[in-house]
Amino acid sequence: MKRKSFIVSLLILAALPLASCKKSEPKGNLTIALLPKSKGNQYFVTCEKGARAAAAELGAELLFDGPINSDPAKQNEIVENWITDGVDVIVAACENKDSISTALRKAQEAGIKVVTYDADAQPDARSFFVNQATAQGIGEQLIDTAAALTGGEGEFAIITGTLTAANLNEWIKFIKVRQAEKYPNMKLVDTKPCDDQKDKAQQEATNLLSAHPNLKAIIGVCSPSVPGAAEAIKQAGKAGAVKLVGLGLPSENSAYVKEGVTQAVILWNVEELGYLSVMAGAALAKGELAPGATEFTAGKLGKMKVEGDNVILGRPFVFTKENIDQFDF
Amino acid sequence: MPALVAAIGIALIIISRQIDISIGSQFSMCAIIAGVTAASGLPLGVSIIAAIGAGAMMGALNGVLVAYLKLPSIVVTLATMVTWQEALRLWQQGRLLSLPDGIQWFGLSQPVGQTVVISIAFILLIGAALAMKHLSAGRFIYAIGTDAEAARLAGIDPKRTTFGVFVLMGALAGLAAVLNLVQSPQVQPNCGDGLELKTIAAAVVGGVAISGGRGTLFGVLLGMLLLANVNPALTHFHQPPYWEKAIQGLVILLAVLADGLRSRKNQL
Repeated sequence: MKRKSFIVSLLILAALPLASCKKSEPKGNLTIALLPKSKGNQYFVTCEKGARAAAAELGAELLFDGPINSDPAKQNEIVENWITDGVDVIVAACENKDSISTALRKAQEAGIKVVTYDADAQPDARSFFVNQATAQGIGEQLIDTAAALTGGEGEFAIITGTLTAANLNEWIKFIKVRQAEKYPNMKLVDTKPCDDQKDKAQQEATNLLSAHPNLKAIIGVCSPSVPGAAEAIKQAGKAGAVKLVGLGLPSENSAYVKEGVTQAVILWNVEELGYLSVMAGAALAKGELAPGATEFTAGKLGKMKVEGDNVILGRPFVFTKENIDQFDF
Repeated sequence: MPALVAAIGIALIIISRQIDISIGSQFSMCAIIAGVTAASGLPLGVSIIAAIGAGAMMGALNGVLVAYLKLPSIVVTLATMVTWQEALRLWQQGRLLSLPDGIQWFGLSQPVGQTVVISIAFILLIGAALAMKHLSAGRFIYAIGTDAEAARLAGIDPKRTTFGVFVLMGALAGLAAVLNLVQSPQVQPNCGDGLELKTIAAAVVGGVAISGGRGTLFGVLLGMLLLANVNPALTHFHQPPYWEKAIQGLVILLAVLADGLRSRKNQL
């Protein structure tokens, strides 16, 4: 018995240096840990691509790990491990704002710089949030694209998620403001909710097409509304005659974009989001980005705007027939 | 049309004095099962059978819990509703599933496909209406909904009948999911959300007594048509969409009120 416990304690002693050896890496190279909501998700895999490019430019080591199924508890576990490993920077997309904030605060106490991207934590649990797009940027890009397609005139309708979704209402507000300012010959005839259901969006679009025979464009502000409206336009035989612009993932819309039913899909550039997030994390660690800054230089992206504690990625990206095949999220 | 197929099932459930609020989740689950099997390259026939079979199994689970374990159907189906919904969320992560070519409109042209979908729904409606009137199984459903004890004394097995109605409901949810699936090239894991409300409302507005034992499928069809036209009417009259749910709610309230007044008069 004694002999056995002696061997066990020997093993534990032998394992101790193994557990702490990661800490003794040279301090010159930053170790940046990137946490996605879910590591199998194409969206975050694309973020990682941008992040790797940034890390390569910086000569930093990039760790990429996350839950398989957007599990907030697993996110905490991974952050705890990174604290033990002693990484320099954690760049996190938060599945659950409250649950991860405790772990991120602990990381900050351990001297790790924390930046969030895609989905924020509580403000005191990180230094900066890399904001993929502002409500104004999204709203203006949607109406500008629709106006460019219709020549800035004619009737248009909006399909939204729900009438109570604050973020969507904010985008719609900016669509209306911009339209009133820049495109006085355009007229918003209706705004319909699709309850975040593609099939309901299809019905709503079908109704809109028959109720407004002069409709020139539909703008979809939630992601299920775009393929739903596309199918309605296609079945009504109005592809191309009624322009369709919306916010969504390229993969969910590529078939309709290639057929010419959907003219443009708008989303932030996900690869650049990953790139900028890592650049912001590194700049924070090196002291190039500090609270109160109004801009910082992010590698090949150049000078990026900082508003308060938000680093702004800028104008959203427009996916069209010409470029949609290059994106696989 | 897919909602009409599901409404047939829900009407039978309500007539037998039960309720099933899990049908939206069953519908979504069946749609995704059909979608995943189709996307893996299996023929459309297999997907259809898989969807209907999965629906029947989910219905059977409800049926066992309600009929044989005597648990209240509202609680049982509330539990299964949430279970299937969350299972789907975990499985599909909310993404749209693209279907292979040849699924939309059963691989036929759009007008032919649409005709097929409508025909299936109406044949089913007429068949079920005739069965409810002339087959003993149909009369059993009315009997257990009116008075389960009297039905049992008359030699009907209420447990078996209730179980059968839930299985049928599940299978119809599966078929409805298939009829919905073939109308577009993508399927979304939340496609059945709200279906329970839509179909229960159609049944109640169509004169099916929520207390069981009374109602016709022809009435359900009328209820469905009435409620389905509220939204297009608002769009055509250029009214704000805020009214849609309010008007639907009001119609349901009036229907329940009318039903309540009528049964009170019968009692006096």
